[in-house]
Amino acid sequence: MLNEERIKLMTKMASYEANEGKRNVAIGSYFRGDYISLQVIKSIISATIAFAICFALFVFYDFEVFMSDIYKMDLLSLGKNVLFSYVVFTAGYALLSYLVFTRRYSKAKRSLKMYYNNLKKLAYLYDKEGKK
Amino acid sequence: MTNLLVLREQLKRFYGKYEVYITPALKFLLAFVSFAMINQTIGYMSALNSMAIVLILALLCSFLPMNLTVVLAAGVALAHLYAFSLECAVVALAVFLLMFILYFRFSPKDTVVVLLTPLFFILKIPYVVPIAMGLIGTPASAVSVACGVIVYYVIGYMSESASVLNTFDAEGAVEKFRYIIDGVLGNKTMLMVVAAFAVTIIVVYFIRRLSVDYAWTIAIITGALVDILILLFGDLMFNTNVSIVGLIFGSVISVLLIKVLEFFVFNVDYSRTEMVQFEDDEYYYYVKAVPKNTVATPEKRVKTIRVPDKAVNHPQKNAESRRTSK
Repeated sequence: MLNEERIKLMTKMASYEANEGKRNVAIGSYFRGDYISLQVIKSIISATIAFAICFALFVFYDFEVFMSDIYKMDLLSLGKNVLFSYVVFTAGYALLSYLVFTRRYSKAKRSLKMYYNNLKKLAYLYDKEGKK
Repeated sequence: MTNLLVLREQLKRFYGKYEVYITPALKFLLAFVSFAMINQTIGYMSALNSMAIVLILALLCSFLPMNLTVVLAAGVALAHLYAFSLECAVVALAVFLLMFILYFRFSPKDTVVVLLTPLFFILKIPYVVPIAMGLIGTPASAVSVACGVIVYYVIGYMSESASVLNTFDAEGAVEKFRYIIDGVLGNKTMLMVVAAFAVTIIVVYFIRRLSVDYAWTIAIITGALVDILILLFGDLMFNTNVSIVGLIFGSVISVLLIKVLEFFVFNVDYSRTEMVQFEDDEYYYYVKAVPKNTVATPEKRVKTIRVPDKAVNHPQKNAESRRTSK
């Protein structure tokens, strides 16, 4: 006999698995710390690339001045300035991504919990049917 | 009104039935229009300008994820700019890379806005975008819309100043580069529009989430007014040469379009609002429930009437039977 309740539950779960669940299952397979630190590391790398692009544009913009003054200017203070802005930029971006991904992780966990509850319910429904 | 609601239900059902075909068709259309617009604005690379290439790319986009369409459009724009001048391509590449690396790492769901915003700019009704995103998106959509605005102005600036850029000789790569960067960063109109759109999205978002009646309508109108006011204010402050007539007409048309969107996304009947209160162990609940407008679509039923064979009047048979009875 077809069990309507079970079929409804299974349909709902299958649609969850196919859509939003896919990403959540991927997230859920990490421990919280692992997931967040991995994402933050990725963010730091992308922030570094972005900073390098900006810096390259900046240098190229003032290319001639830069080249003619390169022996005159205080490279140490320039390096300090660049390093300082790099650290501020990267730290800001990393913090932002930490916040975003922490939230995303807890959201995914919550939604997965509901999914697992449904799985239990499904197992229970199967059990009940088997006993009949 | 009932007819419109019936139409909406029918459209929904139609979409549900043929979703497999409609979604790729719409994606194809969006990609095709985008590539055609890019070719029209900055079609410097003749190889990409042919209709066949545009069609193939658009077909490719019809079954690829939406985000890839955006990447592909960026690639096409870069190729055109490269054919025009290397410096332009470098600046545009830097803009796109920063966008993809910094923002799309969070893989927002509204990446496609980056493509839609320039399209609406070309259609002269960009004011649709911030209000619509405030209604259906989140405040984070402001960043997506800002990216779209920046892309439009950067590419627009390059195509506008093409004649000036052509006057630089081959030696003047650095000057050319500096000219472009100055133009892009010093574009007050762009900054004004980014600010106006961001504020509009946030205002619309917060108003439509209020629990007052007609929150969506209030949000739409307030959003449009805020947008107009900020742009006019910016015009006064920085002399950005915003066309006032275009702004007002564009906003009016945008509001009308948004009302259509609202009809499909958020259609409720405030006259049947119910206020209920209840409690459980932990909370008191004050709930305002607003019913959605729905109609049952009249179903077409084909009733087949079978007439039993005996009852059918066969003149020949009848005549025969009469003859035999005689």
